[in-house]
Amino acid sequence: MSTEDTFHPLGEEWEGELEEMLDETEYDTDLGLEMARDAMRVTKGELSEAEFHERYHEDVLEEFDVDDRPTEAAWEEAKEADDEGLVERLADVDSEQERREVMKKMGAGAAAVGLGAWGTADNMAGEPEEPASVAAAQEDDDDGTQWGMAIDLEHCDGCLSCVVACSQENNLDMGVNWMYIFHYEDEDAGNDPKMMVRPCQHCSDAPCAKVCPTTARHVRNSDGLVLTDYDVCIGCRYCQVACPYGVNYFQWDEPDVPMADLDTDHVYDANGDWVDSRAPRGVMSKCTMCPTRQDGGYGDDNRGTTACEQACPPGIIHFGDLNDPESDPNQFLDEAREDPEKPSSFRLLEDVGTNPNIVYVGHEPGPNADQISAEEARDRGLGTAVSYEEIGLVDNRKTGNDEHDGLDGGTIGGGLSP
Amino acid sequence: MSTKTPSEADILRPINNTSKKYFIGLGLAGGAFAIFLAMWAYQLSVGLVITGLSDWGSGGGVTWGVYIGAFIWWVGIAHGGIILSAAVRLLGMDRYMPVARLAELLTIAGLSAAGFYILVHMGRPDRMVTSVLGNYHITVHNSPLVWDVTVITAYFVLTATYLLLTLRYDVTRLRDDLPGYFEPVYKMLTLGYTEKEDPVVERMVWWLALAIIIMAPLLLHGGVIPWLFALIPTMPGWFGAIQGPQFLTIALTSAIAGVILVSYAFRWAYEWEHIITDDVFRGLTLWLGFFALLFLWLQLQQIIGGVYAAPMDQSTVVSAMLGHPIYFGALSVVAAVLAYTFAQAIRPSLFTKKRSVAAAVAALLATLFEKVLFVVEGLMYPTFGLYAAVPGDYWPSLIEMFSVVGTIGMVAAFFMVVAKVVPVVELHAIEHLREGGHDHATDGGEEVDR
Repeated sequence: MSTEDTFHPLGEEWEGELEEMLDETEYDTDLGLEMARDAMRVTKGELSEAEFHERYHEDVLEEFDVDDRPTEAAWEEAKEADDEGLVERLADVDSEQERREVMKKMGAGAAAVGLGAWGTADNMAGEPEEPASVAAAQEDDDDGTQWGMAIDLEHCDGCLSCVVACSQENNLDMGVNWMYIFHYEDEDAGNDPKMMVRPCQHCSDAPCAKVCPTTARHVRNSDGLVLTDYDVCIGCRYCQVACPYGVNYFQWDEPDVPMADLDTDHVYDANGDWVDSRAPRGVMSKCTMCPTRQDGGYGDDNRGTTACEQACPPGIIHFGDLNDPESDPNQFLDEAREDPEKPSSFRLLEDVGTNPNIVYVGHEPGPNADQISAEEARDRGLGTAVSYEEIGLVDNRKTGNDEHDGLDGGTIGGGLSP
Repeated sequence: MSTKTPSEADILRPINNTSKKYFIGLGLAGGAFAIFLAMWAYQLSVGLVITGLSDWGSGGGVTWGVYIGAFIWWVGIAHGGIILSAAVRLLGMDRYMPVARLAELLTIAGLSAAGFYILVHMGRPDRMVTSVLGNYHITVHNSPLVWDVTVITAYFVLTATYLLLTLRYDVTRLRDDLPGYFEPVYKMLTLGYTEKEDPVVERMVWWLALAIIIMAPLLLHGGVIPWLFALIPTMPGWFGAIQGPQFLTIALTSAIAGVILVSYAFRWAYEWEHIITDDVFRGLTLWLGFFALLFLWLQLQQIIGGVYAAPMDQSTVVSAMLGHPIYFGALSVVAAVLAYTFAQAIRPSLFTKKRSVAAAVAALLATLFEKVLFVVEGLMYPTFGLYAAVPGDYWPSLIEMFSVVGTIGMVAAFFMVVAKVVPVVELHAIEHLREGGHDHATDGGEEVDR
């Protein structure tokens, strides 16, 4: 134990525990503690980043064979272009594995003590700090790209063009409505039919990814998209059970469109994982927010777009980087928030802690809201409402409709229904 | 009541005598399992579309149904082994010694059936090794499903070790009377056996029993299995801390029922009146009633919590449950089992083994239906319920229904095959009955440990 006074904001006991953790690693405990002490000084402004780097460069090289903290020159360079996350440019940290690798090289021990002190100082000061080399290794939702949508429910006319576009681009089976639009009534809010536009909410804390027993369902590190690796999924359907929003569609049988007919640019993402287009038999699928577009598979013009957004005639789907204040969704939200006529924005089931990345402007469904048919919506004055049948799609996948058999058609003994 | 003295010949009888009835029974059990395997092969070739399942949300159905309900049911039945080894090994209730090994075999068979259901339920079971084991070091931190697989595997391994260790004693001593064609099996089982290991093995199995007894109730049906559901905050029919104790009481009810049935079947088939005495059944029936009481008590807690000023989503699902004939039926049956147990405890003349067997069958059916309904109703009434297709409908397909028959066949065939290879009653039990515990065999009177 160090005989000097504690430097850790959480006190001596906490520091002692961290020191014990360091002792258990193969790395130098004293160096870790010394770096952590100075890291605290950096947070308090007593020491500059550059000095901090300079002071420990030799030691870090000796201890870990590599100093993956940014070089002093790189740090200076980074400060000049301070609007972008540092580590992103230096290490292109993309997958979780790579992130872990970085953590490892930085020395688990030094990182643990240093981060602990740093993070606590941040919280105590109550003001966000410049993302710095070590701190950037922490999960931080505000860093990098976070694809998401702002959806203007007030101007959705229920034409289902987005549903059709999604279905076509991804070659989905009938009833697999990754993008699902429906009308509902809300007895607490008058007689007018309301609209709900329901893609996957691409939650930052996605319960589906959390419960997945295989890592097939994952939140992509580079841009926060929640995706399913079709080559890894075992089809246990726990993601569908855990999802609060009911956005998942399992591939119960052979998909209608064979693999050979899929657009090869719309299948594998930049990591080489099969996460886009309709799923093969026996695995789970859902709205992807077109990762192959975001990775440049459809050319640079289509980066930052989705099929549904492009197809929407009134342009009510605003897709973009929610971490970028200038992005389309943020601009739309800023305008909406400034307009006193506009209703406030909301996210679905915000209180369950999923941190969804779809922000709605419009009526928030109350506890007594219930879906109504397109016909009923028309009768109640929404003249543009279109039903799934009318555009050649299927609403209820299980029962199907007159044109298309539902899943019940494949059930053995399906006629036994009570 | 028989006054026969239990002998080695008694416990060797299943191994050395095989009747025509046995072959018919094995044919039926094995046949049921084989038919289900063929059905599963068909399901693998065309997909899970042949089930009655669908997607919840706009999809109009539920994504988990009979397969998951029956999976939970079998894991619950597998708890028979713990109860009996707890009673015999740790609490010294020696009168249950004759059925202890049967109960442990029920654990192995039940867990196998449950494991099989996991495979049957999956869309891509072929990826079990690569996807689940390959990512285990990551997923074990998050996924309740991975916790399940972990604890079930641990429970299986512990119970199998326990069984194999205790079998060494028996097989060595009975070796000369065991059939020659299984010689390689016996050689493997008794590899390196010396009498010196007996006290060591005895201590080992005591510790194993302790480990199983701590782990299985607290971690399996009182832990990871209910957590599959209880940790999902947006399915109000599932969410909540009561599911742990509730699952455990249901599991123990079905487990005791399973032990009663298996014990009765073996007593009937091999004339073991003097080994598995009436007294054993009286005792097991009391346990059945006790667990049924706990089962109903916790259901009452949930009903009261769900109807008295409950949040809207919870109130909706509890009302739906209460209005469902299966729920009402299952609870009534359990209440009847409780009533019978209570009555025969007060007036012993009301006890007959057949009545106890009927109560056991009733309890098993009630727990199966309750479990399936629990899974389905939970998915039918989510918090986010504004879809027109929610609640949807679900009626199991023929293959789902037959899966239950098929796995029962699998478990029955397992017992019939094992009974031909190794003694299913411990030699210790016979020795014990002959020595101090002789009066256990000759009358069904009061027990010191009752």
